[in-house]
Amino acid sequence: MAENEPQQQAPPPAASGATSSGQGAPAGAPMGGQGHSGGFGGRPGGPRPQGGPRPPGGPKRGKRNFVRKKKVCRFCVEKIDLIDYKKAEILSPFIQDRGRVLPRRMTGTCARHQRWLTVAIKRAQNIALLPFAAEL
Amino acid sequence: MEERQYDLIFILRPDTPESEIDKVIATLEHAATEKGGKIEKTEKWGRKRMAYRVARLREGYYVYMILKSDHGEVVKELERRLKVADAVIKYLTVRIDEELKRQEKFKRHRERRAARRPRKTVPAAGAPGDQAAATA
Repeated sequence: MAENEPQQQAPPPAASGATSSGQGAPAGAPMGGQGHSGGFGGRPGGPRPQGGPRPPGGPKRGKRNFVRKKKVCRFCVEKIDLIDYKKAEILSPFIQDRGRVLPRRMTGTCARHQRWLTVAIKRAQNIALLPFAAEL
Repeated sequence: MEERQYDLIFILRPDTPESEIDKVIATLEHAATEKGGKIEKTEKWGRKRMAYRVARLREGYYVYMILKSDHGEVVKELERRLKVADAVIKYLTVRIDEELKRQEKFKRHRERRAARRPRKTVPAAGAPGDQAAATA
């Protein structure tokens, strides 16, 4: 539940942006005024609607119209001073299915904890608590 | 030299009989004391699914130990014995005393901060505190 959070946080906005034409538009419309999306999405998004099948997306241009939720480091919130490599269930939300460490920009982990986290993950991988790569 | 602390985890074949497991643990304890170290704690985690296949096995019997010693010779000897033991398919030794020390440091730091802070946070926790929470 809580473990899946960082992974889930990222996909929903991305998914709504990609499939936007129908469903994403109403939700995204009120947020059109966001500084970030206006600057970035304005020009590249401009020519596209003509060819693309997205007439309902009138006020909304581009696909980056979502509010980015401020992520906080979970380890800081829980005041963890030592990331235990033996607890695989704590580490598992921070790796991809393929076994790679998720970057900070996706999980919101602070620099210090990310540093400890990678060490812990690598140790756990060595003793087969976490995968190096996906199972065949 | 000051005393060092190590985590020692090893994985046995899942079909190893209990008596054999105890024998391996006993030999390790004996070897450790002989070399001037000490096994502080032994935990049998039991059969666990491994994250990837080791020696063509998907499951393994995990044993976790905490080892204290003032030099690295003990680790060398224990790892040699683990390598020789047929039932052991994987092992990992990690030095953890420095990390534990770091954890202690952060913990003390946090407590000191917590002890100092109340004076500041008490006024903020009143009426303005609610507003801050709402806007955040």
